Parts: sequence; C-alpha cells; structure tokens
Amino acid sequence: MAGRGRGRGGGLSFTQEQLQALGIARGENTATTLAPPPLFPKLEAKPLPLSCDAATDYMLIVKDQFIEYLHETPAYVKPNMRTDGIERYSDKYKQLALDAKQGKVLDCVWVNMPAELRPQASKLRMTSRKRKLDDATVINKKLQTLENKETLDENAEVEAESKDEDTVKKENDDDEEIEDEEEQEYEIDEGTDYANNYFDNGEDYDEEDDNLDDGPVY
Amino acid sequence: MSHQLGRVVSEILHRYFGELVQQVGNDLFIYGSKPISMIVKTTGLPRKQVIESLRTLLKFDLASFEPSVHEVVADYKLLPDNVLLLIRYPRYLLQIKSKYGTEAELLVEELLQQATSTATGLLVTVATKNKDDKEKNITILKLRDTFVSLATAGYIQQAPVADTKEGSSDVPSLVPVATIVPDLDTRQLLHAMTTGSLADIKDNIYWKVNYDRFHQDFRDDIMVKAMTRRIDDNAGELMRLLLQQMYLSSAAWAAESNPTPALDIREAVRRAADKSLLSQHVDHYLKVLEENGAGFVRRVGDAGGGQLVVCGRRAAGRLLEAVLDHVVTERLGSNAARIFRLIRAKKYIEEDDIQKHAMLPNKECKELTYKLLEEHFISVQPMRKAASAGGMAKAIYLYHIKTHDVAHTAQELCYRALHNCLRRAAHERNKHARLRDKQRRVRTIVHGMRMRGEPQQNIDDVEETLTPPELALLKDVEKRLKQLSAAELELDRNLFILNWYFMYSK
Repeated sequence: MAGRGRGRGGGLSFTQEQLQALGIARGENTATTLAPPPLFPKLEAKPLPLSCDAATDYMLIVKDQFIEYLHETPAYVKPNMRTDGIERYSDKYKQLALDAKQGKVLDCVWVNMPAELRPQASKLRMTSRKRKLDDATVINKKLQTLENKETLDENAEVEAESKDEDTVKKENDDDEEIEDEEEQEYEIDEGTDYANNYFDNGEDYDEEDDNLDDGPVY
Repeated sequence: MSHQLGRVVSEILHRYFGELVQQVGNDLFIYGSKPISMIVKTTGLPRKQVIESLRTLLKFDLASFEPSVHEVVADYKLLPDNVLLLIRYPRYLLQIKSKYGTEAELLVEELLQQATSTATGLLVTVATKNKDDKEKNITILKLRDTFVSLATAGYIQQAPVADTKEGSSDVPSLVPVATIVPDLDTRQLLHAMTTGSLADIKDNIYWKVNYDRFHQDFRDDIMVKAMTRRIDDNAGELMRLLLQQMYLSSAAWAAESNPTPALDIREAVRRAADKSLLSQHVDHYLKVLEENGAGFVRRVGDAGGGQLVVCGRRAAGRLLEAVLDHVVTERLGSNAARIFRLIRAKKYIEEDDIQKHAMLPNKECKELTYKLLEEHFISVQPMRKAASAGGMAKAIYLYHIKTHDVAHTAQELCYRALHNCLRRAAHERNKHARLRDKQRRVRTIVHGMRMRGEPQQNIDDVEETLTPPELALLKDVEKRLKQLSAAELELDRNLFILNWYFMYSK
C-alpha cells in the first residue's frame, strides 16, 4: 500500500534509467489501453495450407464414418423430447424413429461395470419380490390379512367418531404386515388412486388449527 | 489438467457422443471423481440419462471408476487423455491398413467401434458385413489369420477383466491380463457364419485395441522419416533396422535403449539385402548417423565393432525443438525465430548480446524479444549484483528457454486451436443443418431411384430440387468442414510429439 522508497524497487517497476536501457523513451509508454483485446485478432501471417493427399482424404472419410456410426448407436445419448405443445404431422414419424432407438441398450460387458450401471439391476429386484407371491401359503396368508383388514375397516368406520385408540394401533400393525403387498401395488399401477387407503380417523383434524397460529401459509 | 484441455475434451465429447455425455464429462472433468448422485445433482439431468452417459464413457474407456467410501457405489473419473485419442482413430486405421491390408483395417475399425469385443464375435460380424462384397473377397479364414497376427504383433490385446476373487461385488475392480494369442476353432467359426448366431460358442475373452502399440509405430515412422529427410533413404532404412534391434533388447519407450552391437546391425542389413548401397557402406552410414543424425543414435563403446544405443529422449527433444521453431516462425515471423534459436544455442544470453548476434535493428530486436517473452516462449532471469549502489547497471537480465515450460505453452496453443476447430465446425454444421439434411435426403432418394432403375428424367427432376445457389453453398460448407477436420488431424500430430516429449520428463 505505502509507496516504497527509491532504493527498494523490488522488481515491480523499473526506474527511468532501466526503462531507458530497455529501449523505452520518456513518454512512449503513456498510451495505456483500457479496452480488452479484440476477440478475433487479425492474423499477422496467413497460415500454411494443409497437406491434402490421399492419406488425409482417407482419414477424413474414416473419421466421418466413425462419428456417423456413433451417432446411430445408443452411445449417443439423446435428451428427452421437448415439445412446445403444438402438434405436428411429423410428430408421429419422429416418435416412431425415436422409439426404435430408445429400446436399445448400449452393448457393454456388464460384468466389468459397477452394479448401479447394469440394466438388470432394477428388474432383478422386481422379479425376486414377485416370486414371494407364487407360494400358495403366502397367498393364503395375504388373503387372510386382507380379510381381517376389511372387517377392521368396517369396525373403524363405525367407531370413527369415538376415536378408539386400540383399533387404530391394531390396524397399524396389520398395515405393516401387508406393507410388502401394498408397495408392489403402488409400483404396478401408479396411475390411479383407487388402490390407496384414504381412511382418515380424524386424528389430524385439529392440527390444522395449530398451524394457523403461526400465521398463514403462503 | 488445464482449462484449455477441459474445453477441448468437452467439445470432443459433444462431437462424438452428444450434448448429455458432454455435460457429464465436463462435470467429471471439473470435479475430479464423484458418484452418480452428485453428478445428477450438479448437472440437473435425469438419473437415467446420467447412467446412460456413464455407460458410454466407460465402454469407450473414457472414464474409470473405483469404489467410493460406501463400497456399494462407485466414484467415476474422466480420462481426458483417452478422450483426445478419439481424434487419432483415423490415423490408427491408416497405419494398420498400410501395414497389414484391408482385412486388418476392417477388424480394427470394427473393434474401435465396439470398444471391446470377443474374438469370435468380431470375426463373425466383420465377415457377415462383407459377405456380399465380391471385390474385397473377405473370408472368415483370412480374417482369423489376420486376427491372430494382429494379436501376436500386439496391436490388439485382451481387455482387463473383473477381479473374480471378490465374487459378485457391486463395484468390480478391473485387472489387466496378459494377452494370450487365441487358438480359434475354424469349424466353429464357419458354423457360426452359416447359422448366423453366436449362441453356440462360449467365448468370454474380450479384446481391445492397444493404442500404445500404434504409438510406437508412429514414433518409429517419425524417427525414420526424420533420418530420411536429413540424410537419405538408406539412412532411414538403417534407422528402421536399429529400431528393430532396439525392440529385441529393451523396453519400447526407454529413454535410451540397451546397447546393440554394430555386428548385429550389419547382419540385419545383409539379411535385408535389397539395398545394395546400404550393405556396402554400413559403417559409413553408421558413422554419419552418429555424427549428423541429430543425436538419435549414440555410440557408447567400441567392443564388438561398436556399441550403439537409440536415444528416444534425445530424439523427442530434438523433434520438440523443431516443433517450437515452427510455432515461433508461424506466429511471430522468421526474425523472432532467429532470436529464439539464438537464445537456445547460447543457453543464457544478455539482451545486448542478442542484438549483437541476431544482427537485427536494435528496436525490432527488442520488440521481438519482448513479444517472445510475452507469449511465454522465452523466460528472463534477473541477476542482481549485491553490493552496488545507484540505479544503473545493477542487474543483468539473462534470457533463456525453459524447454519444458515452452512445451507446455505449445501444448496449450494446440488445445486452444483444436477447440476452435471443433467449435467452428460445430457452428458451420448447425448453421447449415437444414440444407445438409436436404442434400442427404435427395441423395438417398436418388440412390433408391437408381436401384429401381427409374428413367433418368425423373432422377434429374429430383436432383433439381437442390438449386444451384444451394449447391454452391453446400460445396463451400463441405470444403470448410473438410479443412477444419484436416486441421484437427494435423494438430493431433503435433500433440503426439509433445506428449512423447512429456513422457520422458515425468
């Protein structure tokens, strides 16, 4: 910050004599340019022409072929189609072309890949879970629990206003038991809400009021 | 791992694999190594597409992975050097075509496209693809022989396999394996050809292209060519024989090969035989190579008629100097190059002496020196005299060249130019995408019509949908793209020499 004395140049700036020794006369270095250098400076010399022989031509063709090949394979990852909401006649054909490519998975040596990249990873889990259902006893058990649940539901509906704590707890237990089953149902048809249990025992009814005390929610 | 390298790598990924792979690659380049969830977070892409991009990167060996702290997930890391090799693929193909012929070219091309493949799979695909091509006359037996000779010569090698010891872990660790030249059953191959399915053959040995072997070839070619240009064809031939001898006794990229007795060389020349002039004057040529061969060859002893070594390091250094000279000449002119060479010859030189020796006008000489300094081609070392008072003549400024730093500067320049080429080409392609698309469609239609044998008039009608101005524009664009593409290949040649130099200075 503080200006240094004459004796301690420190290599940061030159004295007048040194500048003169470097060939810069007084007043010659006044023109400091504040504008940034041009983005595309003019070439001082024209670049040499590139060699253009048969070998180069061959390499160019091979290169284009290689890139074209890559663009056709699943290695070329395409973003999901973004539509602007306007239906076009060509959409159908584009979609067809896209679908043809979408199904393909890159052909890799999966053993050499981390498990999270392998395509089978998610499928395997699904099938192993499904296998549980094949067992007849398990199915029977499931049916039984469902039956129990049905009766409980009826009970609960009747006693909803009286808020029977025990029933609710019991129901929760049952819920856990059939959780597996339900999870799977979610996975299969996420489209409709019919499978969801919308039973409300009314416990949460008061909670809304508490929130209001804190101020309105925007 | 410079900024410029990152830009080039990102641009290359965009050209070859599209926008998403570019984003993932760029993210990995910036942050080093990270797991999938982090990539998803920073790029904002859907997880599925990130996974697809990573598959692409891993398949082509452009990224590596290792188990992270959690063990079940992997950390991914980009390999920028391998990404740069994508540009060199055509050169590999040219090399193999000129050395081993069409069959080898087809095999290597297919292998480069597949990244890794089993031997049988590769042979059957190539054979099926070229089944109808009568001109080339490709048979699976010929292909098999070529494959075996390629494997023997080391142009293709076995891909690393997952370590089997850990069982089925979530993140396999890849171990390189020694290449064993395969013994392929002809009958099985023929059977697979006729049935068209590979299901019967149990083949789980995967192969990939060995880039390093190709690089050795490039290196040899450069050295032989240098000697041919500097002395004559016979000297080039002698250099080739010397390199062959070198491979017998020492590592391929050794800085200095193990000494080879001159007797062996003489023997080899006699066996090559067709160069009568060379075999008559082997000793003279050896002498010339030693004394005037830019230090590629050095005599280390006199035992056994003379011991010779090939100095890879010296050769790389000399070629680097030539590259730098050219760079300086083309950028700053021949006078600057003269100063540059002068400084290199004198090692350390004062400014006054530069003026004296370069024989240039005072002002111009200074200007050029400072320009060289500004562009980082030369460095300056101030030497201060301790015990002198007063402003004048206290310090001496010694100009010199730090070869390693200048090589880095040149590398940066190459990266920047490469990036510009790719960027410009992408821009041209985008700008004229519609027109190029139209041209392509017209071509396919015309081709289809020709195949169906429709009258010439109809074909002409279709062809005329491209108007003359459009055709002129297309021709122009094609020419520019070709030029840019050729420039990429040339830049890659320069980068090869620079990398060769850096190999020894590590």
